[in-house]
Amino acid sequence: MMDVTDRELVFPGRILGEGIERSGNSFREGRNVFSSIDGMARVKGNAASVIPFRGGYTPKESDVIIGIVSQVLRGSWLIDIGSFSKAYMRGEEVTRDALNSDLSKYFKIGDLISAKISEVNELKSSQLMRPWKLEEGLIIDVNPKKIPRVVGKKRSMLNMIKDKTGCKIVVGQNGRVWLKGNNIEIAIKAIRKIEREAQSRGLTDRIEKFLSNELQSR
Amino acid sequence: MKLLENGKRLDGRALDEIRDVKIETGVLKRAAGSAYLEWGNNKVLAGVYYPREMHPKFMRDPTKAVLRCTYNMAPFSVDDRKRPGPDRRSQEISKILSEALSSVVLLEDYPDAGIDVSVEILQADAGTRCAGLTAAAVAIADAGIPMRDLVSSCAAGKIDGEIAVDLMKDEDNYGDSDVPLAILPRKKEVVLLQMDGKMTKEEFKKAYKLAFDGAMKVYEVQKAALLSSMDSVEGGE
Repeated sequence: MMDVTDRELVFPGRILGEGIERSGNSFREGRNVFSSIDGMARVKGNAASVIPFRGGYTPKESDVIIGIVSQVLRGSWLIDIGSFSKAYMRGEEVTRDALNSDLSKYFKIGDLISAKISEVNELKSSQLMRPWKLEEGLIIDVNPKKIPRVVGKKRSMLNMIKDKTGCKIVVGQNGRVWLKGNNIEIAIKAIRKIEREAQSRGLTDRIEKFLSNELQSR
Repeated sequence: MKLLENGKRLDGRALDEIRDVKIETGVLKRAAGSAYLEWGNNKVLAGVYYPREMHPKFMRDPTKAVLRCTYNMAPFSVDDRKRPGPDRRSQEISKILSEALSSVVLLEDYPDAGIDVSVEILQADAGTRCAGLTAAAVAIADAGIPMRDLVSSCAAGKIDGEIAVDLMKDEDNYGDSDVPLAILPRKKEVVLLQMDGKMTKEEFKKAYKLAFDGAMKVYEVQKAALLSSMDSVEGGE
């Protein structure tokens, strides 16, 4: 039996239902399912989950992230991905002979890269693959839990911002967004607006209108 | 000093009445989660960081995160200036708060990591460990760190031979005994229980009951604070 309605606000320890299916940010005790965080409950058929509003980034396989090279090691790099755990990238991603070549030729300390997480181990420490150097441009920090809204369904939101502003944008699931090109300030304003209003309905339309207004007024 | 008159206390409360509790979340922008709490004349600020790499390294635990709580009293929080820095008392309170909070946070989600919680007492008026713990639990929830339950807390004590809930400063100083209690309100489990002074078994049972009911009242305030902070998140402009 479901004890919450769709889009109801919940807090840690709030009961979601008895004998129901569970996913995301909830836990089971006996037959009962409870929320483990402060957030918004979503109900789909017989399953309940909770959408978070805030929270840090925990690495997940196949996420694309934006990292900062923090150390060049022997045959690999240590990358800061803004999480509590470490991320490594093997030198073999860019060269055949990683042990004998100077890896700082490819990426040196402080360089920005976007990469995909290929593996996360039981300590949540991750391996990165397919690095892409992000040159120039700038990075903003966004609440990692709002990234799905910045990207939108089938990337709709992100493509719309890119088309309208003509700005190059790379979104990392770890909450870092890289921008380069035209109208950066407007793109940032739009992203901040999405971050603030993430849980409201009809957001894509509102952002589209917002971008049109901003672009016209300059 | 006479603490009771016609069954009323110095500030006019009944024996089973707690002071007003007010909680506000998200007051610190740099912390992942935060809470400001006013409990009578107690003023407490609690802040939490997201799980991060644990230092010192030897304290890491590869099976779960380590939660460290630091309780600190501001020099101006009491009548006589409190000498700043950790002392015997604040180390004890830091330890018991860490242990109480560790029992609800889902630490297994963050192996090798450390979660730092700081509790700052800006103004003290007895019952600061309860106030600090209550604020810390809300701050952790505000940060979006997963927990099994909140932690609610309240104290009870003996004044002029009667058992009363939630002692204030004069009652604590001139009273006979003080019993701080913290519970997990959903499962009704006890995560902190101490006693200062003496009580008989019957008196203790009564004090426990009063503190427990007080903590459940505090729980309602915590829930309301968390839910109202989210309302503002939801709406568009």
